[in-house]
Amino acid sequence: MNASGSMIYDSSVTQAWLPAAGPQGPWPESVCCQDALTCEPGLLADLILSPGEREHWGALRAVEKRRHEWLLGRFVAKQAVRLLLERNLDLHLAPTEIEIVPDPYGRPLVSVAPPVRAATMRERLQPSLSIAHSHGTAVALAVLDPAAWVGIDLESLTHRREDFEAIAFSPDERSLLAALPQDLHREWALRMWCAKEAVGKALGRGLGPGLQAFHITRADASSGLIEVELRGGALSQFPRFEGKSLIVSTARQSNFVFSAIIYQHYQNGAVRMRPSRQEILDYLLQKMGELTADWDYPDPVSAESLLFTELGFESLDAVVLCTAIQEHYQTPMPFAELLAEIGQQQRDLSIDELTDFVNTHLGGAAGADTTRRVQ
Amino acid sequence: MPNMTESEVFDQFAQIVAKSLRIDAAQISPDTHLTDLGAESLDLIEITMETETQFHIFLPDKSILETAVEVFGPGILEKDGYLTEEGKRLLLRRMPEADARAFAGDVSVKDLQSYFLKVVTWVRMIQGLAQYTPGQCAACGGPMAPSMGFRMKCSKCGHEITLRSGEEINREWVREYYDKEYRPQAEAPVSAAAVQ
Repeated sequence: MNASGSMIYDSSVTQAWLPAAGPQGPWPESVCCQDALTCEPGLLADLILSPGEREHWGALRAVEKRRHEWLLGRFVAKQAVRLLLERNLDLHLAPTEIEIVPDPYGRPLVSVAPPVRAATMRERLQPSLSIAHSHGTAVALAVLDPAAWVGIDLESLTHRREDFEAIAFSPDERSLLAALPQDLHREWALRMWCAKEAVGKALGRGLGPGLQAFHITRADASSGLIEVELRGGALSQFPRFEGKSLIVSTARQSNFVFSAIIYQHYQNGAVRMRPSRQEILDYLLQKMGELTADWDYPDPVSAESLLFTELGFESLDAVVLCTAIQEHYQTPMPFAELLAEIGQQQRDLSIDELTDFVNTHLGGAAGADTTRRVQ
Repeated sequence: MPNMTESEVFDQFAQIVAKSLRIDAAQISPDTHLTDLGAESLDLIEITMETETQFHIFLPDKSILETAVEVFGPGILEKDGYLTEEGKRLLLRRMPEADARAFAGDVSVKDLQSYFLKVVTWVRMIQGLAQYTPGQCAACGGPMAPSMGFRMKCSKCGHEITLRSGEEINREWVREYYDKEYRPQAEAPVSAAAVQ
């Protein structure tokens, strides 16, 4: 914590505890953590909240601590999404242009407000997000992959009774704790608790299925990794996890314990066939057809069509297309660099050239192990 | 402690919450949400433990809806994050004292979670579970006192019983509801044909 009493992390400096352990995933992520409001709450609300969010915050009848933490949670969440889009897509948004609305289960959904031309495109730009707050500190994790399941949690090491373990953990879990060095006991009890919370959030239902439905089978003090198995109600909701572990990264920073999981939906261990150039071109033409279905073009879209001058793309449209391509091929590609280069040279991009770009970057990734977080 | 009134349970529960969250009990009303008082997940665990100790009960570790979904299977009580009519019927049968307006219109799982975090919902759950904790010994009529773990012991004759968990009581209730009320209705057309 620095002298101003607040801290901001992003994933470049939180590698110590964020998914650094285990193979690096192909999708970029961003984390932001902050322990105090940066200015007067009413002013911060005006600066960062969308009109709908401002209304919610205004109507929130709660103690000051809760109101402040809610606002701080929105602040770090928007910061994490902004950093993510800036770094990876060279897309610069104001916090008010990023709206976070909970789904019917309470999981936060991100929608990016600037008008994108077609509704189908707007849906493409929807990073996955998780938010947590405790004892005046909030943390958020955003992942570019819209289909990823993400969960983050934090707890303070201060003011905590020891005996919560009796309720929170099963006898098996308590013996895992007992096997760890005594001086790590308190910290690891909280790490294990946070791991359950993170998995509950990643699956979208929180700890609703009961604490015993998230069973910890391994806690590794050297790597900070905790393995969680689903049981009971959680397993019947997600039968695909039968006999598998979800792996949660945990870490301690000053007085807080953090946990995070990113689960991405890849065919487990399956070797993907490298698509041919023609297949890529066909996919791009089909995708362009879908995305621009309600735009008026005199001529059909072809390999020679130029995205910006002929098809009328704006930069955000291009970003959405690039996100869709990466999602389709489950492979990150340096689109930000490509778009920046085109911008600098003030030239256009044909679908043919885009096909070559995708083809080149899939070449290096063909058959790569894309399995992550789940064994 | 059976036979406690709702207001007696409320007063005692409000003290537990106030102590755990280090707030004034006067801030707590039946309609308050525990999270709006600043409670975090681990505070809820602490409040649960203290409540269990003071009232000699076992609170269920998941909501009645989660237990019911486990018995009914997916898609019957809740679909895409919203309660079905069947789900609303079950909850209102289990919580007849609940405000029926809370279950009118679209009710999401998120709304329901917030309902389960209301002080009055906890108070009624505690009151209901306390009915299962005997005040008097079944063997000799002597006073029962807490013993090791979640056991109660008669201070006169030494007769011991194990308390039942809220989860077990909920599950039994759901099974009975499923067998006696839901399934006969769901299968009514079939059984009517079978009779003829």
